Amino acid sequence: MTYFVIFLGICFMLGVLAVASNPSPYYGVVGLVVASVMGCGWLVSLGVSFVSLALFLVYLGGMLVVFVYSVSLAADPYPEAWGDWRVVGYGLGFVLVVWMGVVLGGLVDFWKVGVVTVDGGGVSFARLDFSGVAVFYSCGVGLFLVAGWGLLLALFVVLELVRGLSRGAIRAV
Amino acid sequence: MSPLHFSFYSAFTFSSLGLAFHRTHLISALLCLESMMLSMFIPLSIWPVENQTPSFALVPILMLAFSACETGTGLAMLVASARTHGSDHLHNLNLLQC
Repeated sequence: MTYFVIFLGICFMLGVLAVASNPSPYYGVVGLVVASVMGCGWLVSLGVSFVSLALFLVYLGGMLVVFVYSVSLAADPYPEAWGDWRVVGYGLGFVLVVWMGVVLGGLVDFWKVGVVTVDGGGVSFARLDFSGVAVFYSCGVGLFLVAGWGLLLALFVVLELVRGLSRGAIRAV
Repeated sequence: MSPLHFSFYSAFTFSSLGLAFHRTHLISALLCLESMMLSMFIPLSIWPVENQTPSFALVPILMLAFSACETGTGLAMLVASARTHGSDHLHNLNLLQC
């Protein structure tokens, strides 16, 4: 089980590397989906299934779907996947930077594994993440209202940015 | 540093490097921002488990909400750029003429 979770962590890192090496955006979204699936699997292995499901629904089901639709605005005549030498070069360069950081930072003491799971202590009547997010509605209700107001404001920001008809943003004049 | 901590630490580093060394498309820079957000969400969710403090489980949900705002705004700028310049290539955004 330990090795499976470490494998999920490594695949998470590889998925993010696949996004960061900047292939054509069609392939970058694949890397992001793989990374978020591995991250959700990792969270489920710790027992916090609620935030994992929230990530799946909001992130994969909401934000990434909108991204995939918007990728159609980024059409390339010859899309570069990870077989292209430029993309592989960027990926290897980033791996080199992180590896140099690990070596020079002295992080070689690497094999301490161990993390508490969600039933490690405390009251097991209500799960840790459920009861934590429930605080959002009881004690943190001011924060809830501020977040809702911010989301409504973001809607109007988006409306103003894509208004067009000589009153929008990013004008070429 | 345990290997799992190293995993999301290096994921954040990769995505910020990918944002810094972007190539042609604005949307691949936005995808790197998304992966920065994802690699911050995972450790923020692990923190209440490690420290057994349930009330901190609120923070990743809030972060998800504000990251949705940021995504919407970034995609709106992408659409505005595609409307004005015809594509989302970053070398089109060159009002600074020096």
